[in-house]
Amino acid sequence: MALVDLLLVVGIIAGVYSLLAIGMNMHWGDTGLLNFAHAGFFAVGAYTSAILTTPPATGSLATRVVGFDLPIVVGLLAGTVLAGLVGVLIALPSVRLEGDYLAIVTLSAAELIRLLIHNEAWLTTGAQTLKNIPRPLDATIPFSYDLFYFVLVWALVGVCYLLFERLSSSPFGRVLHAIRENDDVPLALGKNTYVFKLKSFGIGAAIAGLAGGLWAHYVYAISSIMFLPSITFLIWAAVIIGGAGSYTGAILGASVIVFLRQITRFIPGDVPFGDQLSYIRLMVVGVVLILVLYYRPQGLLGDAERLQAGTSE
Amino acid sequence: MTLLEANGLRKTFGGIVAVEEVSFEVDRTEIVGVIGPNGAGKSTMFKLLAGFHKPDEGTVVFDGEDITDLAPNDRTQRGLVRTFQIAQELTGMRVMDNMLLASQNNPGEKVLAAAANTSSVRDFEGTARDRAEELLQFLELWDLRDEYAGNLSGGQRKLLELGRALMADPDLLLLDEPMAGVNPDLTDRLLQRIMDLRDERDMTFLVVEHDIEAIMRISDTVIGMHDGGVLSKGTPEEVQSDERMLEAYLGGEV
Amino acid sequence: MVLDPQLVWNGLVVGSIISVSALGLTLIFGILNFINIAYGDYMAAGAYVAWAVNAQAGLPIGVAIVAGILVMSVGSVVLDKLVFQHFRTRSPITLLIVSIGVAFFIRNLLRAIWGPSGHFYDLPMEASPSFAGVRFSVEQVAIIVVSLLLLLGVYVMLRRTRIGIAMRAASDDRMLSRIRGVDTEKLVLYVWLIGGAIAGLSGIMLGLDAQIRPNMGFTALIAIFAAVILGGIGDPKGAVAGGYFIGVAQEVSVAVIPSEYKFGVGLVALIIGLLTRPDGLFGEATR
Repeated sequence: MALVDLLLVVGIIAGVYSLLAIGMNMHWGDTGLLNFAHAGFFAVGAYTSAILTTPPATGSLATRVVGFDLPIVVGLLAGTVLAGLVGVLIALPSVRLEGDYLAIVTLSAAELIRLLIHNEAWLTTGAQTLKNIPRPLDATIPFSYDLFYFVLVWALVGVCYLLFERLSSSPFGRVLHAIRENDDVPLALGKNTYVFKLKSFGIGAAIAGLAGGLWAHYVYAISSIMFLPSITFLIWAAVIIGGAGSYTGAILGASVIVFLRQITRFIPGDVPFGDQLSYIRLMVVGVVLILVLYYRPQGLLGDAERLQAGTSE
Repeated sequence: MTLLEANGLRKTFGGIVAVEEVSFEVDRTEIVGVIGPNGAGKSTMFKLLAGFHKPDEGTVVFDGEDITDLAPNDRTQRGLVRTFQIAQELTGMRVMDNMLLASQNNPGEKVLAAAANTSSVRDFEGTARDRAEELLQFLELWDLRDEYAGNLSGGQRKLLELGRALMADPDLLLLDEPMAGVNPDLTDRLLQRIMDLRDERDMTFLVVEHDIEAIMRISDTVIGMHDGGVLSKGTPEEVQSDERMLEAYLGGEV
Repeated sequence: MVLDPQLVWNGLVVGSIISVSALGLTLIFGILNFINIAYGDYMAAGAYVAWAVNAQAGLPIGVAIVAGILVMSVGSVVLDKLVFQHFRTRSPITLLIVSIGVAFFIRNLLRAIWGPSGHFYDLPMEASPSFAGVRFSVEQVAIIVVSLLLLLGVYVMLRRTRIGIAMRAASDDRMLSRIRGVDTEKLVLYVWLIGGAIAGLSGIMLGLDAQIRPNMGFTALIAIFAAVILGGIGDPKGAVAGGYFIGVAQEVSVAVIPSEYKFGVGLVALIIGLLTRPDGLFGEATR
């Protein structure tokens, strides 16, 4: 593959991860909520859109009896909305919990979602791959399809970026920031902090759902092992490296992570440790995350002054 | 006319009685001071009024409505606003944002309106900024409006705390040790401001304060607490000359 | 409903593993006050080291177990010096995220060295005897016996030794124990030595019961968290009780729900546990 084609593929993945990171940044960067269920929201978006836009499986070995063959736009929208609703549903009982408890409950909830996907074959084809997910305008693009999808994904990243930036700097975002700093204060100032947390959770989860839909319609085929908790952790790394609280940072962080993960695609064969490279690059992600936390806790584009002021007593 | 009523409040923590049989009334446009030695139950009583604790027994009535079961935010929206004893600034937010956060019924706090940035959102924000400016000017914090609250000095934080509570436009303001850490010159102006707000805007105050001199200067009524109960209640002079209060303080100091 | 003794037995085996690993995690939490996401990967590393000694170097399993425990004990201290020590003054949440980085590193190091596929220990083949209708393997008996011995040992350590008593004190109230002159850094050293050893051992037990895989510990982590939280985070007794509860509940549940969902039992127990009794089974958690 030519370098341009490779860059397009990596760019599409980076765009999908950027959407995930944007959602996570609303949770953690804006609201201070430890969401470890992101892979679950990603999965809900991907499976919802896939199930809605494909017909039921046929043939004697078919397990999936549900499928709707609807337009892709419907699938993407439904995936976004449903992921948001699942986010709210998970947050309803848990969002009042103290920080790290919330992390564990959400991590468990995401694994429960994956368990459901893995076992409810009538709906999801279960452990097998859900295949033949349609690509939007597949046959009608007269030029490189990857170029088209790249533009589509990044246009959506742009729209979401502007939307989330605006929310973050609005009075709504101000309440979220207050919750992040000390949620007794907005409570004393008349804000129903519980409802604001639910909204934050729902909105961020919805964008992860959109990312899932875009992912499913690009890769044709999805399976439950694509949605392991390690996705969630990678997105955490992206948000922290980019700089929590900064949406530009979230996109940059996601792009850095994806580039680190995909860098071996750009290296021609026969390099030392060629077989181990895919693991070594994830080790590098771990090391980079730790180094950033130590040397640059505000991340690449985060606000150092705010962090400094925010931790003062 | 009664604005706030505490009826037989009782609160225990793991078997230890923090507040017991506390009943009193606060009239409209009254300034009520609450004094008492450490451990007298002032803080617990304060949190019961603000809704940060739920009483085991008793009720809190505000403006004719039983608010005992209301959450703190619902009390604030009805005009009952508290401050924090240790200034709880939102340290990672700018001074101006701390102030704007306190405005009530802000249309921009609705997601859709915020996303659309409607004219009502912008208008509201503009008006709120003007009010915040006026308050910050008075508190001599205007030059610091773009500073992160975490960079303020202890005294400045107390002032911001007060300004933010005023920004919420309270009918009754519950002040938890507002003078602690504020320099004497400013204390005088704060006390004057509280009396002005009462006179000009018909606000009502309940002030918990260690600075007894300050309390005596501004209060119409003083409540003396000891061992979780109300020991003495009356005009500043009456409470000050109440020997039981003196004993409570002497006993409490040992 | 009559409980199938076979399921109960299986539950006790799984519960032993969860109990031991939960004990290590909760001890570390008690002193260091953060949730170590990498703990599952410590377990996996212990299992792999033992496998390398056992199956690759051809040494007996007993030697391999000791090697796995020692390497993880020392390795935990090394990781602390290299990484966690530099974040001691940071918030528990920062440390949690740091541990994510450590988890990435360890898990992929295991994959890089030993590959992504599963392995088994090289054990002498023995018949699985049965008793009163319950079939059991020698490994299962060993798991239960070793875990009981370990739990007893840790109990004695926490009750009788100076360091154990200091550990409990620090876990209950860090400020107070610092004021009383407990050397916290020394405690940290001991807790990593002990916690790392327990992680290594529980990883090996997990590998004996099932398969050795790079993500084996991480996969087990949710059940372990569930045990820790059910027992009251930071409370060793509670973690052990929580571990047996979850192990047995998970296996016995197979009688009523599809077995694919047995791992969901831990998740559901965790969520219910958190929402209803955040202080844990014995209600004396550190927070």
